[in-house]
Amino acid sequence: MAVPAKTSSSTAWLLIAPGVLWMTLFLVIPIAMIVYVSFWTQTTFKIEPTLTLASWQQFFGSDTYLTSLWTTVRIWLIVLAATLVIGYPTALYVGLFVKSKTLSTILLVVCVIPFWTSFLIRVLAWRPMLGKEGAINIVLQYFGIVDHPIEALLFTELSVIIGMTQIYCVFMVGPIAFMLGRIDPNIIEASRDLGAGFWRIFRKIIFPLSLPGVVVGAIFVSVMVLGEFATASALSGRKVNLLGNIIVTQVGSLKWALASVVGVILTIIMGIVVSLFLRVVDLRREL
Amino acid sequence: MESRILKPILAVYVALFILFLYGPFVVLTILSFQQGPEGGPQFPIVEWSTYWYRHIFGLTEASRVAPLPIGTSMVRSLTLAFMTMVTSTVLGVMSAQAFRNKFKGSDFVFYLIVLGMITPGLLTGLGVALVSRNIFNVDRHWWSTAFVSHVVYTFPFAFLVMLAILNRFDASVEEASWSLGVSPIRTFRKVTFPLVFPGVLSSMLFAFTLSYDEFSRTLLSSNEQTLPLAIYGTFAVEIHPNLFAFGVLTTLFSFSLLAVYAILMALSVRRAKKVAIQEEIA
Repeated sequence: MAVPAKTSSSTAWLLIAPGVLWMTLFLVIPIAMIVYVSFWTQTTFKIEPTLTLASWQQFFGSDTYLTSLWTTVRIWLIVLAATLVIGYPTALYVGLFVKSKTLSTILLVVCVIPFWTSFLIRVLAWRPMLGKEGAINIVLQYFGIVDHPIEALLFTELSVIIGMTQIYCVFMVGPIAFMLGRIDPNIIEASRDLGAGFWRIFRKIIFPLSLPGVVVGAIFVSVMVLGEFATASALSGRKVNLLGNIIVTQVGSLKWALASVVGVILTIIMGIVVSLFLRVVDLRREL
Repeated sequence: MESRILKPILAVYVALFILFLYGPFVVLTILSFQQGPEGGPQFPIVEWSTYWYRHIFGLTEASRVAPLPIGTSMVRSLTLAFMTMVTSTVLGVMSAQAFRNKFKGSDFVFYLIVLGMITPGLLTGLGVALVSRNIFNVDRHWWSTAFVSHVVYTFPFAFLVMLAILNRFDASVEEASWSLGVSPIRTFRKVTFPLVFPGVLSSMLFAFTLSYDEFSRTLLSSNEQTLPLAIYGTFAVEIHPNLFAFGVLTTLFSFSLLAVYAILMALSVRRAKKVAIQEEIA
């Protein structure tokens, strides 16, 4: 087929143009706008395009906002670690230990199904679970593990972490199980024949080969947790204020400039996090 | 052998993991059958009843618990999800089709599109709100600003699904059809479309469910309430088991969508097999 390269390229551009236009207009320009507005002048009810650093100074001069920056980073790190620690063994079983393809597909589907239900309902479902008269406390008291209900379970930072871990765990399990499923069983067989124990095989072969999955999972979880606010406000009783919560409350009181500052800070943090993860593994080569 | 011990331990672990994933929802379902209107959103179950389900549909006598404000917001959410589904599937098919030939700048375009699904909803919503307020000076509505920010999110999913499908697609089938003198439109209908149908269906399912459930993008980009916003609004005040009952119903709705998808998918696979058998006979 001797189609001139120029023709096919221009057809391609015709096909891609609407998509590119959409993303430029409704994603790139809006994000650039957030950066721009973060330097606007804020008066009581409106913002004006006179450039100033006032909102940035307000953010970095306030303990409330700096605390929320730290809270966001802390919760992100804890949830990231928790999803990895809790999700990895599951991925290991699904991706490597289950020999039957059907069973491993079924298990993955079982893990993904909760993702198919409403996000807010999944958050809400933790309330009757963690409350003072909630299911966990009832079970613990029934078995005599605790005498009095643990009140620290709900409306604390802990409840936010538990909720987020459950909601985002799936995004860690999926990519890791996928990478583990691609490991050639012969390699493991060979090292076992050569006398390597499981722990050694895990450290030297299984974990390194699953690393691209861990990185993809970590990027998913990080981006979602850093941009979170709903779980924090629904499960912490408004005690935990993430950067996302600050954006929502500031917009609520028409402080668009400060909300934009927080938006820019969030974007910067995410950019740093994602590029650090990508430095660990060259995804394009590995996938 | 260590894996003899390890495997059962991991199996038990996975069972616990699944309990962790499903536990809260099971508890929520049980509590949705709480007695009403006095029964609260916690154990013990005073008496089993379907009161809170009837409460949602307004079939109970007025009580101190206000009905969930979901009527209009649900119509909005369904319409919005439908609009988003159509738009992002069309955009996804077109863009993925463009990617069948390598073109200049295709790497850049790929990342531009994928950026839409990894940008946090709050930032998309904030950005779109700022642009509409301060550049175009227009009001934010669920069918305008919220709609475009939903598509920013769902279009990448449709694009990636279609890309995966088209990568496996053998272009020589189409060429054979053209060279046999079949018109391009007929070729598309009879050859191309059946082959890409599973991808289109998956894109539609993704786009619809993601948009229907989308919360953080809508929060800042719409003045009116969609269903997730209406639900979120009730979190702030005291919650009642009617929210739980609603959670069960909306989950059933999502599952029925999934079931429709599975049936259509199975039908298309069967049809593909039938064609393959006919070819073999011929």
